[in-house]
Amino acid sequence: MMRDRPDGATLVKMAAARAAHEDRSLIERARAIAAREQAAGEAPLEACRGALVALYGEGELEALLRRLAADIRAGLFDAPGVRREAVHRLLWSMTRQKLAESNPDYLRDAGIV
Amino acid sequence: MTVGNAHATEPPTSSNSSALKGGGGCPRPRSRQVSSTLESSAIERLARHLAARTGAARVVVRELRRLRYGAVQENWALDAVFEGGALAGEQRLVLRADPATGLSESRDKASEFAIMRAVHGAGVAIPEPILCCAERGVIDRPFLVMPRLAGDADGAAIVASPPVARAAIAARLAQELAALHAIRPPRAELDSLGSPPNDAAQARIAALTRALAARDDPYPVAEWALRWLIRHAPPPAPPVLCHRDFRTGNYLVADGRFTALLDWEFAGWSDAGEDIGWFCLGCWRFGARLNEAGGLVRREIFCRAYEAAGGAALEPERLRFWEMLAALRWLVIALEQRDRALLGGEPSLDLALTGRRPAECELEILMLMDAA
Repeated sequence: MMRDRPDGATLVKMAAARAAHEDRSLIERARAIAAREQAAGEAPLEACRGALVALYGEGELEALLRRLAADIRAGLFDAPGVRREAVHRLLWSMTRQKLAESNPDYLRDAGIV
Repeated sequence: MTVGNAHATEPPTSSNSSALKGGGGCPRPRSRQVSSTLESSAIERLARHLAARTGAARVVVRELRRLRYGAVQENWALDAVFEGGALAGEQRLVLRADPATGLSESRDKASEFAIMRAVHGAGVAIPEPILCCAERGVIDRPFLVMPRLAGDADGAAIVASPPVARAAIAARLAQELAALHAIRPPRAELDSLGSPPNDAAQARIAALTRALAARDDPYPVAEWALRWLIRHAPPPAPPVLCHRDFRTGNYLVADGRFTALLDWEFAGWSDAGEDIGWFCLGCWRFGARLNEAGGLVRREIFCRAYEAAGGAALEPERLRFWEMLAALRWLVIALEQRDRALLGGEPSLDLALTGRRPAECELEILMLMDAA
């Protein structure tokens, strides 16, 4: 997935419902993820879709991601070459963006800015 | 719920004893508030069960409270007074119970108990398992009881220890792991683990392939890792008993020293590399990235200590394979944890937030692949 579940809105709802039972740090983490997700908006999803469109042609993001996952599983990108490099770049870009929203400290600790 | 009274009861088969009247060697139990979400009747049944199993005339549960430790299993601090029997006196125990929803890899309590007995018998430092109740009639779910040992499992605090302490903890962990891996099949008392896999690497790849295929959502980085694993699978190694969740956060440290290995629910026959790869996964370094071995020391230092303690040498390629597999396995487990919150009816924000952790595994996958 480009954005893992639960999304920020769901996390905020859960945090509100569980405020009396959960650690403060968890509540804050849920809210922080939601805030970062909201700040990023739809741009990362559109950028990901754009990279997939370049690979496959027009389509919805989720359908294109499904196709990518299925093609990787089928070994279609095993061979070195331009297409494998393009997928490699896309996977890095998706992962960086996901962590920038879910856990930016993890990216920083790994030395990736 | 909060239960207002301590729970004291006699085992059904026991006659009254002088201890009940304060005349025995045990301290006379006093009433004290018991805080717990277990029903009062369940605590009464628990006290009766403990008495019957240990030969005590009576057991008073002084305190039963949920510990924060344990993301899958429920661990409860259980303070109780045993009047006579094998545990006579005041006891600080841990009651470890199945959660309402578990993970596909989790073993049942009888199997976990058998593993812990075998491991403890082999001299590995773990809490000595005291008893197992596989029935649901006592607290509505199976559970184990073991001593509550000193120490803390807080990974962030452990990796922030002074270098000398970290080195000593790592050296001790390497020794414990080598002793664990010296347990080889066949072992009659571990029949519940099933036959050891002929090829642990292939068996794990097959299981992860099935787990990903069964998901509705696409995970391209996970598929990318699977392809790499298929291309880089090492030849089979002799199976050993593995912990399979051997990592910082699953052992206790008291006063800067290792005390015990915890959490045996995933243990099973495997390749020794699975434990070391899991231990070295970046996700378990708690920010201490450069100390690949559990955030404690460099990977090479840990492997040398493991070999010096009798563990088999692990080539770098083999270890890289098991680290990659660890990243993918944790991704799949994190999704299962998330599902417990979103689909399984466990209202836990912690579990829900675990659903955002696969990205950490994906980063580890990409970094490992680029370094290969």
